[in-house]
Amino acid sequence: MEMVKTTLFALALAASSAWGKDFSLTIGNPVAVALPDGVNPVVKKKDAGMAVRVENCAEVASARVTATAEGIVNGARRSVPVRLVAATTPGAFAVSHDWPMEGAWVVNLTGHCGASTASAVVPFGPNGFLRESSKFFPRAATAAEVEAVLKTLSGGAQ
Amino acid sequence: MIQDEKPPLVKAPDAIWRSIEAALDATPERRPTNLFAAWQWAAASLVVVGAISWFAFKPAAPAWQVSRLEGSAAVDKIKVGEWLQTDSNSRARITVGDIGVVDVEPNTRIRLVAASPTEHRLTLARGEISATVSAPPRLFLVDTPASTAVDLGCAYKIKTDESGDGVLRVTSGWVSLEWKGRESLVPAGANCRTRPGTGPGTPYFEDASEALQQALAAFDFAKGGDESLRILLSQARVRDTLSLWHVLSRVEPRDRVRVVDRMVELVPLPAGVTRERALQLDPATLKSWREELAWKW
Repeated sequence: MEMVKTTLFALALAASSAWGKDFSLTIGNPVAVALPDGVNPVVKKKDAGMAVRVENCAEVASARVTATAEGIVNGARRSVPVRLVAATTPGAFAVSHDWPMEGAWVVNLTGHCGASTASAVVPFGPNGFLRESSKFFPRAATAAEVEAVLKTLSGGAQ
Repeated sequence: MIQDEKPPLVKAPDAIWRSIEAALDATPERRPTNLFAAWQWAAASLVVVGAISWFAFKPAAPAWQVSRLEGSAAVDKIKVGEWLQTDSNSRARITVGDIGVVDVEPNTRIRLVAASPTEHRLTLARGEISATVSAPPRLFLVDTPASTAVDLGCAYKIKTDESGDGVLRVTSGWVSLEWKGRESLVPAGANCRTRPGTGPGTPYFEDASEALQQALAAFDFAKGGDESLRILLSQARVRDTLSLWHVLSRVEPRDRVRVVDRMVELVPLPAGVTRERALQLDPATLKSWREELAWKW
């Protein structure tokens, strides 16, 4: 009996781990949540800096994503809360461009699906977000990881 | 010979006087009243009063405000049917009702066609404008000699030259460029050329390779054929699936397989989209595919 319990627990743990490992965030052009047929009228699209959605989340309707913009302006470190607006597609959000235009900025996105967490640190250039330079983590990004991306973006001028 | 001679006076008979008195005593016969004429007078009066009131209180013709950005501005309003023209030193801003603004660049000629609650429409004859609009899709439209730019909630620039050739550059949201059933959906960061008689070309992202952009120009407007398609497919990146998605519906049926294969190579088919349906250009399939591809743009 004890062996059965142990096996079941191990299986449940494995399943949970597998599910948690797969949970992730996808980033995209704001147009992904501002579809041209007008059926997905997410905020004013020109205020959206990017879009984000959760992947592999069983409870997608209850998935949460939070975001903070971390930047360096004139040599000073700044942090700005960022609004996320839910799209009509569950689990997808428009990320509002709430940070100033000047300076170097990254957006730290953290998603939660049940007990699982995933994150993305997304740098922004003059023409929008930089997909290739973005970092994705199967957990919340650490402060050091955020600082590293910001430092790379600002050319080490921290 | 004419003589001035008075006739002799003769007394009138009594019968004449009696008949005159009888006539005076009798009730004079009334002339029948003309009722129809009275109605006409009433109606005419109403028309006159109505006309005066209409002229006095008539609603102003729809007009948008015009303000000077640079140079001299001769007008402060543009009414439906009127043209606005800037010279080489002038820029102006048109306030589009309460949904946005249009900046008119130098050497531009533009006309206000409609300003109703269901349609805000301009005609750009030549020059360049920048539009920033926050409104329901398809409310704001700009006609050019080669196509119509349909706002889908966006900001964009569009310019057209003397020959009618034009290019659209979208800076946020989406614009649909349309001409005689041909449609190009242009998202933020992308451009789209347009030519009279052909309509909108294939949209492409501004950071697409020069070779891809040239291949698209040949494909769209110079009958580039197989060679342009070959270059296009070889140059396409993940992001350029925007262009390939449009090209899929515009190539000869025999070439669709090449386009779909390349798109799948760049981005695997999402759930719910089948290769067969895509090759058949099934509208629902293409729409689902585009919505999923947009996450890679």
